[in-house]
Amino acid sequence: MRKMKSNRASSIILHNVLIAFLAFVWLIPIIWLVCTSFSAYSGMNTSTFFPREWSLIHYQKLFQPDTVQQFPRWFMNTFIVACFTTVISTAFVLMVAYATSVMRFPMRKPLMNMGVILNLFPGMLSMIAVYFVLKTFNLTNSYAGLIMVYSGSAGLGYLIAKGFFDTIPRALCEAARLDGCSEARIFSTIIIPMSRPIIVYTVISSFLGPWMDFVFAKMILNAGISENYTVAVGLYKMLDKSLINSYFTIFCCGGVLVSIPISILFFIMQKFYVEGVTGGAVKG
Amino acid sequence: MGKKSKNGFIAAVGGVFGAIGRFLADFGSAVAKGDAFVKLSLLWWGAGYARRKQYVKAAIMTALEAGLILFTIFFALDYVPKFGSLGTVKPEKVFNMKTMKNEWNDYDNSFLILLFSLFSFVVWAAGIIIWMKNVVNVYRLQLKAEAGEHINTFREDLHSYVEEKFHITLLTLPVLGITVFTFVPILLLILVAFTNYDQQHMPPTNLFSWNGFNNFISLFGGGGMTITFGYAFVRVLGWTLVWAFFATFTTYIGGILLSILLNSQKTRLPRMWRTLFIITIAVPQFVSLLLVRNFFANGGIVNTICANIGLTGFLRDIGLISTSYIPFLSAPGWAHVMIILINIWIGIPYQMLIATGVLMNLPSDQVESARVDGAKPFQIFKSITMPYMLFVTGPALVTDFVKNINNFNVIYLLTEGVYTTTNQAMANSQAKEVDLLVTWLFRLTQDYYNYKMASTIGIIVFIICALFTLFAFNRMIGNGREEDYQ
Repeated sequence: MRKMKSNRASSIILHNVLIAFLAFVWLIPIIWLVCTSFSAYSGMNTSTFFPREWSLIHYQKLFQPDTVQQFPRWFMNTFIVACFTTVISTAFVLMVAYATSVMRFPMRKPLMNMGVILNLFPGMLSMIAVYFVLKTFNLTNSYAGLIMVYSGSAGLGYLIAKGFFDTIPRALCEAARLDGCSEARIFSTIIIPMSRPIIVYTVISSFLGPWMDFVFAKMILNAGISENYTVAVGLYKMLDKSLINSYFTIFCCGGVLVSIPISILFFIMQKFYVEGVTGGAVKG
Repeated sequence: MGKKSKNGFIAAVGGVFGAIGRFLADFGSAVAKGDAFVKLSLLWWGAGYARRKQYVKAAIMTALEAGLILFTIFFALDYVPKFGSLGTVKPEKVFNMKTMKNEWNDYDNSFLILLFSLFSFVVWAAGIIIWMKNVVNVYRLQLKAEAGEHINTFREDLHSYVEEKFHITLLTLPVLGITVFTFVPILLLILVAFTNYDQQHMPPTNLFSWNGFNNFISLFGGGGMTITFGYAFVRVLGWTLVWAFFATFTTYIGGILLSILLNSQKTRLPRMWRTLFIITIAVPQFVSLLLVRNFFANGGIVNTICANIGLTGFLRDIGLISTSYIPFLSAPGWAHVMIILINIWIGIPYQMLIATGVLMNLPSDQVESARVDGAKPFQIFKSITMPYMLFVTGPALVTDFVKNINNFNVIYLLTEGVYTTTNQAMANSQAKEVDLLVTWLFRLTQDYYNYKMASTIGIIVFIICALFTLFAFNRMIGNGREEDYQ
C-alpha cells in the first residue's frame, strides 16, 4: 500500500518537473528579453546570459527620441491606426457575419463561396497591388493608407463571428419579427447585446492587428521616415546591421513595453479564440 | 470525406452559375414580356419608374446612368483604348514653341493604363448588372401595377432597407471594401503576370507590354533565360511544401501532447503553467522572432555557450561545420532545421490552446472504460484521443497547412539579412534556400521590382492553396452544418 502511494507521488513529481522544464525552455528567450532590457550595455550581450551590469538607463533613453529611435511617436502612430482599424473592422465583420448567418437572400451562398476563394490568395499578393494603388493616389506613408490596408478587406474574416451568430436561437428573431420589430432593430437591440463575447473577440483581434503586423506596415511605410513608423517597423529597423550595436538594448526595452499591453489583451482574447475556433465544430 | 467535399465544391461552383443563369433568365423574360416603358428602360434607366410615378427613383437611376456615361467619356476612354498595347508613347522632353521651353510630352504610363482600364471594366460590369437588375425591377413593378397591387412610395422603398432588404444595407460597405482592397488588386496582379513589368520596364520612364505565357514558361524552367528561375522555383517550392508539412504536423502533435500533459490530473497549478506557455505567443512575433534570431546569431549568446562547453569544437571535429561558430541561421541545412524548431517553439502554445478547447469535450466515458479495461496511456492516446482530435480538427489541419505555405513572418523575420545564399543559380533569381514562395515574391517586388515574376509566383501559390483547400472546402464554409442549431 505504502509503496503504491510513494510510486504515485513520485510520478506526480516527475510529471510536474517535466512541465516545469518545458515551461522553462519555452520562456528562455522571454527571460533573456526582459533581462537584456535592464542591461547597462547598449549592444547585444554575447558572452553571458545575464547582463553584467543592471541599469534602467535604456528605458529612459526610450523616451528620449533621437533620429533613429522615436518609440513614443511610433506607439502613438500604431495606437491611432489601431483605433480606426478597430472601429471599421469590427463594424464590417459583425455586419457581414450577421447578414450571412441570420438573413436569407439569393446571393448569400455565392457571396460566401467567393469569400472562400478570395481567402485562398496570399494576402501578400493583393497587398502588393494595393500598394501600387495607394501610391497612385499618394496614400503611402500615411495613416489613411495603413488604416485602409488593415480594415478594407476586414469583411472577409467574418467566419468566427458567423459561427457565433449561428448558435443564437432563431426563435428569438421570429418572436421579435411577429411583434413588428424591423430587421435593423432585431440586429441592434436583440442580437448585438447578446453577442458580447464575440464583439469583445472581434474588437481585440482587430485592435491587435496593427500591433502584431509587420509586413504590410513595412510595405506601406517605405519612405524611411522614422516619424511615420509603427512600433513593429521601428523596432525592426533598430536591428539593422549598422545600428544593432548601439540600439539592441533599447530594442529589448521597446519590445518589453509593447508586449505588456498586447499580452494582456491577448489573454483576454484567447478565451474567445478557443471558443470561436472549436465551438461550432465541437457542438456539431 | 474527400468525395463529399469535392461534391461540395462542385455544388458551390454550380450554385454560382445557377444564380447567374436565373438572373439572366429573369432579365430575358422582363425584356420580352415588358411593356413599352420597360423596354424604354433599356435606354433610359428611369423610364419604368417614371411611368409608375416613382419620380425620386427615376431621378436617381437617371443620375446613375448619366454618371456612368460621363465616367466612360471623361475617364475610361482615356485608358481603355490603350489596354491592348499598354501604351506606345515614351516620355520625352519636347521643345514647346509657345513657351520656348523643353516640356514633357503627353506620354503613356503602362501601369496607370492597366489599373484604370481594369477599374473601368469593374465599373462597367457593375453598370451592366445595375442596368439588367433595373429592367427586372421595372418589370416587376409593371406586373404589380397590372394586378392592381400597391406600389411603394419612395419612403416605403427606403424603409425596406431596414426590413427585408436589410442585408443590402449591411453588406454594401464591406463588399465594396473587399472589392477595392482584395478583388481588384488580385485581378490586377493576375494581369501583371502576363506582362513584362519589371525593373527594365518601370513606368513612368519605360513602358511595359503584354507578354503572354512567357513568365510561366520561364518559371517552369523553359525559355532558355540566363536567369535561372526554373532552377530556383523547384527548390523553393520543395522547401515550401516540406516546411508546411513539418510546421503543421510538429506543432499539431506537440500541441495535443502538451495539452494532454497540462490537463492531466497529476498537474499542479495547471492554469499557471498554461499562462506561462501562452506568454510566448502573446509577445508579438516581430519582437520574439527578431530576438530569437539574435539569440542564435553567428556571434550570439548561444554560440558563445556552445563554444564554452566545447560543442562547437566537437562539431568541427566530426566535420559538421567548417566555421568557428555554429551557423544556426546562416547555412543551408542548419537554417532549415532551426526554422522548424523555432516554429515549434512559437506554434505549439497556439495548438495547445485549441487542443485544450477540443479535449474538454472528449467523451470521458470512453477514456474511463478504456482505463478500466487496463489500457495504457499511450493506447488511449492512439485509439481514442487522436481519432477524436482528427475528427474535430481535421479540416483545421488543412487550413493550417495552407497558412503555413503562406507563413511569411517566421521565415522573413528569422532569415532576412542574416541568411545569404552561396548558390549562384539561386542568387541569380533572387531566391534563397530558406525562402518560401511568399517571401521570395515579397523580395522580388520590394528589392528587385520584378513584378511579373512575383505575380506569376503568386498565381502558383494560389493554385497550390486552392488544391489543398478543396479537401476542406465543405467544412470551411460550414455547408450543411450551420442550421443544425438554429
